Amino acid sequence: MSERTAPARVVPAVARRDFLRLAGATAAGFFALGAVSDRVRIVASLTALSLDDELTRRSMTEAATTRLGGLIAGLRQRGWVEGVNFRLELRSSFGGPDKLKSAIQEIIDLKPDVILTGSTGETAAVLAVTKTIPIVFATSNDPVGYGFVQSLAHPGGNVTGFTSSTPEMGAKWLQLIKEAVPDIARVGVLFNPATTPRAGRYYLDSLEQEAVTSRVEVVLVPVGKPAEIEGAISRFAEPPKAAMISLVDSFLVVNRQAIIAATAKYRVPMIYPFHYFMDAGGLMSYGPTLEVRSADYVDLILRGTKAGDLPVQSPRKYELLINRTVARTLGLTIPFTLLARADEIRE
Amino acid sequence: MNDQVDQGYLRTPPGRLFRKYLYSIVALAFAALAINTGFDVWFSYREQKQLLAATQREQAASAAIQIGQFIGQIENQIRWLSRLPPELSTNEDDRLNAIRLLRLSPAIAEIAEVDAQGREQVRVSRRIADRIGSKADLSGSPAFRGANDSRAYYGPVYFFGDTEPFMTLAARGNGPAPNVLIAEVNLRFIWDLVAGIRVGNTGKAYVVDRMGVLIAHPDLWPALQRSDLSAHADVRAALDGVGPPSGGLVKEDLSGQRVLSTYATVPSLGWLVFVELPLSEAYAPIYASIGRSTFLLVILLAGAILVSLFLSRRMTVPIQMLTQGAKRIGSGDLGLRLAIKTGDELEALGDQFNRMAAHLRDSYATLERKVVERTSELEKARDHALAEHDAAERARSIAVQANETKSRFLAVVSHELRTPLNGVMGVLQLLDDGNLSDAQRRHLATAAASGETLIALVDAILEYARLEASTEALETRDFRLDRLIETAADLMRPQAFGKGLTFDLACEATAGTSVHGDPVRLNRILLNLIGNAIKFTPRGGIGLTASAELFDDHVLLHITIRDTGIGIAPDMHERIFEDFVQADDSIARRFGGTGLGLAIARRLTRLMHGELTVASTPGAGSTFTLEVPLGRGQSGLAQAAIAPPSRRLGVLLVDDDPVNREVGEAILNRLGHRPTLAGNGASAVALARDHAFDVILMDLHMPDMDGVEAASRISKLDLPKMPRIIAVTADVSASARERLARAGIAKIVSKPILIGALREAIEGAPDEPAAAQLAAGALIDRHFLDEQKDLLGPPQIAKLHHLLQETSDRLIADIANAAAIGDHKQLVRSAHQLGSAASALGLVRLFERCREVEVAAASTSTSECQSAARDLAALQKASMSALDDLLSPLEQRSVN
Repeated sequence: MSERTAPARVVPAVARRDFLRLAGATAAGFFALGAVSDRVRIVASLTALSLDDELTRRSMTEAATTRLGGLIAGLRQRGWVEGVNFRLELRSSFGGPDKLKSAIQEIIDLKPDVILTGSTGETAAVLAVTKTIPIVFATSNDPVGYGFVQSLAHPGGNVTGFTSSTPEMGAKWLQLIKEAVPDIARVGVLFNPATTPRAGRYYLDSLEQEAVTSRVEVVLVPVGKPAEIEGAISRFAEPPKAAMISLVDSFLVVNRQAIIAATAKYRVPMIYPFHYFMDAGGLMSYGPTLEVRSADYVDLILRGTKAGDLPVQSPRKYELLINRTVARTLGLTIPFTLLARADEIRE
Repeated sequence: MNDQVDQGYLRTPPGRLFRKYLYSIVALAFAALAINTGFDVWFSYREQKQLLAATQREQAASAAIQIGQFIGQIENQIRWLSRLPPELSTNEDDRLNAIRLLRLSPAIAEIAEVDAQGREQVRVSRRIADRIGSKADLSGSPAFRGANDSRAYYGPVYFFGDTEPFMTLAARGNGPAPNVLIAEVNLRFIWDLVAGIRVGNTGKAYVVDRMGVLIAHPDLWPALQRSDLSAHADVRAALDGVGPPSGGLVKEDLSGQRVLSTYATVPSLGWLVFVELPLSEAYAPIYASIGRSTFLLVILLAGAILVSLFLSRRMTVPIQMLTQGAKRIGSGDLGLRLAIKTGDELEALGDQFNRMAAHLRDSYATLERKVVERTSELEKARDHALAEHDAAERARSIAVQANETKSRFLAVVSHELRTPLNGVMGVLQLLDDGNLSDAQRRHLATAAASGETLIALVDAILEYARLEASTEALETRDFRLDRLIETAADLMRPQAFGKGLTFDLACEATAGTSVHGDPVRLNRILLNLIGNAIKFTPRGGIGLTASAELFDDHVLLHITIRDTGIGIAPDMHERIFEDFVQADDSIARRFGGTGLGLAIARRLTRLMHGELTVASTPGAGSTFTLEVPLGRGQSGLAQAAIAPPSRRLGVLLVDDDPVNREVGEAILNRLGHRPTLAGNGASAVALARDHAFDVILMDLHMPDMDGVEAASRISKLDLPKMPRIIAVTADVSASARERLARAGIAKIVSKPILIGALREAIEGAPDEPAAAQLAAGALIDRHFLDEQKDLLGPPQIAKLHHLLQETSDRLIADIANAAAIGDHKQLVRSAHQLGSAASALGLVRLFERCREVEVAAASTSTSECQSAARDLAALQKASMSALDDLLSPLEQRSVN
């Protein structure tokens, strides 16, 4: 349903035009902002991704393909021009708990006006440090369960944000991968207990229930390090026929290339919760559509709205993406029910 | 002055009319434009507001329809699904259909197919795993029941996951055992719809459900908070079914901005779609319209001012030209032509003006010609009249001259007649030597009576002639009125008694006063009237009543003389006062007389500004009434009764002139003092040394010793009581006074001596000498002479007359001699003596001339002295002759 553009183009080719646009937008920003243009605001973003991951790359085009690009574009629409009246400070927690700690400290030292966090773990870490700086998470699956917010409608405190998949999605992923590969006897569930909600139990309840209904054995595949990934996946290459499910887990997103490479190498069909995996060459993904409007909330917060007054937004759209080329490589025939359901079929 | 006023009136300030027109037109245009614009703006404002509200209502209605369609479309889709015959497909096909439907409608989150018994057959969801043939019992669910009841079911809005508004929709299929399709619809998809509704630029639309809970809002997050808006007044009212106000509602929205709000209801769902537009934007077109109207008004006003300027100028310029024209015509420039070319009434007016000016010009020309003609006629008439007047004047002067000639003739004749008559009368008196027979004596008596009548006649004619010649002048002085009347009565009473008549005199007390008038003339009138009464009354009597009315400054004398005589016919009442008229000829024959008596009496009365009238009945008698105004007498004194002085004084009178000495002595005696006389300065000094005097009256000009020298000698005598020295002189100049003051003489009495002035000087009355009041040009001061006559009595006057005659003759001779030999000193002395003597009897001209000669003698040549001497001689002769005339009757009487 939503269109995917090609990965961001080479920057120098459009630098001049972008600069001119930026200048125009800067002037427009001055007019649009009015009363709040007196001080350069600081928007800090903490991500689990490595800073050279393409998802952390800032999109200099209007069409935002990444969350960061969407944020910058959205803020510009609302009169916030980077380098003119706000400054975006990007920090990465990539590299372990120490790195996370130092990144958070750096951000706190900047005295930012708002902090964007990427996942539940980072949100919890930042919240442990500040109860005053507004925090916008995107995404956290169980903010109420983790005690970030009092309720989704009225979060209270200094936190708000966006949720991702609900617990029932575990069963859904299983149903969908079994439809794609009907003859499976077991299913491997890949996750990092440290970075997935409730160490995976968040989704596993519904998944295991569905596995009983559909007479499939569930094999939990917890991984803690990227190096463990390939070995974990390779175990599902041998019979009995198996497929895999990737849970919502920032660790998996960070290491998506390694996962995709391993599944291709070992010819293991896997379903993913995000389209990022499809971009890296995955078989199929099902999950909420990226409708994260961080720019809305950042704008409101920069203009004085309390983060706790803004409701936590839940996803409303779900999309099914299928790569038929990958399916053919794996020797799979996608049934009608899946094709009828698919929002996008890549060749 | 009229011209100035007119010009002032015409000088209207330039441009006043212009300004008046200008202001009027501008005001009118402005008022019209302002009212028009005002109404326009007002109605446009109202219309725009209505339009705005209508538009907004339309938008709300449109939004409501869209939302209704959104839901309706979903309903149609599930209905379509429900109507698929159950036997047509397996469950798997049902699932595929449901998946297709989910693909078609993103808002449907989950869809379940339930058979007619309420058993779930298929459930397809986006979030959870699909279930096929679960046969779960849903027959008790409100959706199943609702759909079975009314084929379609709209559940209430509920929030899934705390934030997501959801609604359950159910539809029932056809056939005997229809399936029921139950769909869970995520209402967040309405957000796309709501966000897409454009309300102006900044307005927004939002949706609340039947409970007042916010379902959709363009800002998204308010809807996620389950905001309950039912507490808002407008939402409450809308939920209660109150329709939106036609003009829209102005309120504050969630962010506190003032907005124009209206709403519409979504059909079948009962939801409310509110549409709000910020007032700043909503009214912007209205304000812009007002701004445009104001701008237009200003432009039009500027235009109106320009047009007004043009119009006012067009109206006022011709009027100003007319005004200028009128002004120039008013100032006499009739040749002016006004060139007003406006092609309207003003041009017609200008033409009329030009015609009027032309007409005026013609009229003026005619008028001027007529004036010239009439002037020349008048000049001729005037010349003629002047000629006639001159002729009349000449005739009149000839007549006057003739009359005067007649009068002189009469006077001369009368005078000449008297002389022989006197002789005749004298001879007649001599004829009766006692030896005459009765007849002779009777003849003689007749002759004597005729002679007397003749004399009286001549006297009357003489007096009348003098009156006629207007030579008679009143000689006024103070006198006692009653005394004069009594004297006249006493004089005439014997005559009345002689004729056997009674004579009654009634003199009222008011007549007992002193008056100022001419007693001689008044006496003559009285004697005349009484004489007439006696003459014309054969029997009976005469009655005389006299009274006086006293006023502040004059006395009005009333005298009536009543008789029982023959009377006068009414037609003769006035004629008897004419000259030479008697009642009739027979009367003249019976009573004789000249007929001039009453004429003289009336003329004298009129001379005194009085009136003489008569009332008479023939046979019963006549009454003559005399009314004469007289001046009030001074201090009520008559000269005849001078009050005695407070003290009898010894007075030494020093004068070298015997006449003056005589007069002075008489006056002093009369005043009750003791006079002693001295003829020169030396004897005066001697007398003053030997006798005590209270007063010395010193003549200043004396031959042996000057009065001033004598006075200084007397003052050096060292007398025990220094007498007061009073100078007697005619020289009252400032230098003379100074000289006298140096000699210790403070008082001066002027010559000729007047009794009042002397008395005042002696008895210490006011210092100023009485000014001599002399009739200019008269030879003799008759008033003074009369006073002297009264004072000294006729014999004394006669004596003085003779003495003056002798002295003056001698002095004239001396003067002639002195002038001939050039003896100035003698001339001066003789002239002084002559003047002094002349002044004693009031010969004023002679006195003045003597003084002139005396003063000028020292500096005049011999020939001039001689001519002066001749003048003096002539003047002395004329003056003495006049004095003779005045005194001769008196002397005759005294001789007689």
